[in-house]
Amino acid sequence: MSAAKRVQQWATFARSWHIFDCKWQDPYESANIIKKYLMGLHKPIYHPMNDCGDVVVAINSRDIALRGDEWRTRAYFHHTGYPGGASWTLAWELHNKDPTMIIKKAVYRAMKGNLQRRHTMQRLFIYPGENVPEDVLQNVTNQIRQIRLVPTRLDQIPEEVTKTYPKVMDYPEDYVLK
Amino acid sequence: MSAKHMFLKPGFVRAPLQNGIGRYVCQLQRIVLKFCKSNGASRGMRDFIEQDLVDFAKVNPGVVVYLKPRRHRGPVVVAEYLNGDRVWMSVHNKTHAEITKWIEVLRTQQGNNASTRLRKYQYTDHPSIQGPWTPFTHKLPELNTAELPNPAFGANNRLPMSATEQLRLMFEAQKLGEKSDDLKTAE
Repeated sequence: MSAAKRVQQWATFARSWHIFDCKWQDPYESANIIKKYLMGLHKPIYHPMNDCGDVVVAINSRDIALRGDEWRTRAYFHHTGYPGGASWTLAWELHNKDPTMIIKKAVYRAMKGNLQRRHTMQRLFIYPGENVPEDVLQNVTNQIRQIRLVPTRLDQIPEEVTKTYPKVMDYPEDYVLK
Repeated sequence: MSAKHMFLKPGFVRAPLQNGIGRYVCQLQRIVLKFCKSNGASRGMRDFIEQDLVDFAKVNPGVVVYLKPRRHRGPVVVAEYLNGDRVWMSVHNKTHAEITKWIEVLRTQQGNNASTRLRKYQYTDHPSIQGPWTPFTHKLPELNTAELPNPAFGANNRLPMSATEQLRLMFEAQKLGEKSDDLKTAE
């Protein structure tokens, strides 16, 4: 293999780093997106036997949004292996203990259970907030687009914008606002 | 790939280096014909030796031909090649015509071709004219200088326009009248 071809090979199989903002995102929908990047399914060179998976840095995992009342109803099961060792932890309890755990488990479950899965998971970095170590952040070259639009709260919009925003109708004079 | 091909050496289709362009180098170096003088299984082999072998040796001066008569053993052809390959072939009960064809195969082939499992039926040194794909082909150039994470690159840009946004745009267009070209939208 000539020197030029060798460099071409390195370029094609280079591992790139992606960042994903979990803010207001459903972890189980996001997991399907993150999984594709972790396994390299988004690449035209993908083949199950070549090692072309990328690294994904997931930030703001503390601010994920579960659907409906799933914070209260979804339970995570664990068994210690001893008799009576079963335990069910609700999603909100698990999230309080470790804010990265729900997204980690969602990505793990989204992938097919084979020998490669644990190695693929090693390429996923999850951070509960905005703070990402500098040595991790400097590798990032791409951002994965979110699925849902992050809503803006009314109190985060400046006063002038709210004042000048067009109104469909005015409240009547005698209308009592709660 | 079936189980019986598991232990073959994998390889690609290839031509011997420029062989036949300008000059031809016969890749077969030595051929040993083993046969029995009395056994019926060697009948075809004996016919070949009586009728064709001298002509074969004259036409191919680069090939060493050995005859190895041995009593009450099956007829065998062993061919040895320039690249060190050795092909052992039983010609038990083969007729004269069949043996002529098999020896022609052994003479013209380049090595022990049957011992490689072809990974693909085609091969090229230049798989792409445009250049193979890399992670940076068709990437937005703005990403090179962008400070990530950045909501401009992270937000979903494929959502349909909301009713509120549409109303606002209608309002703005109404307010501006003719100057609707330089309208600022939320996207």
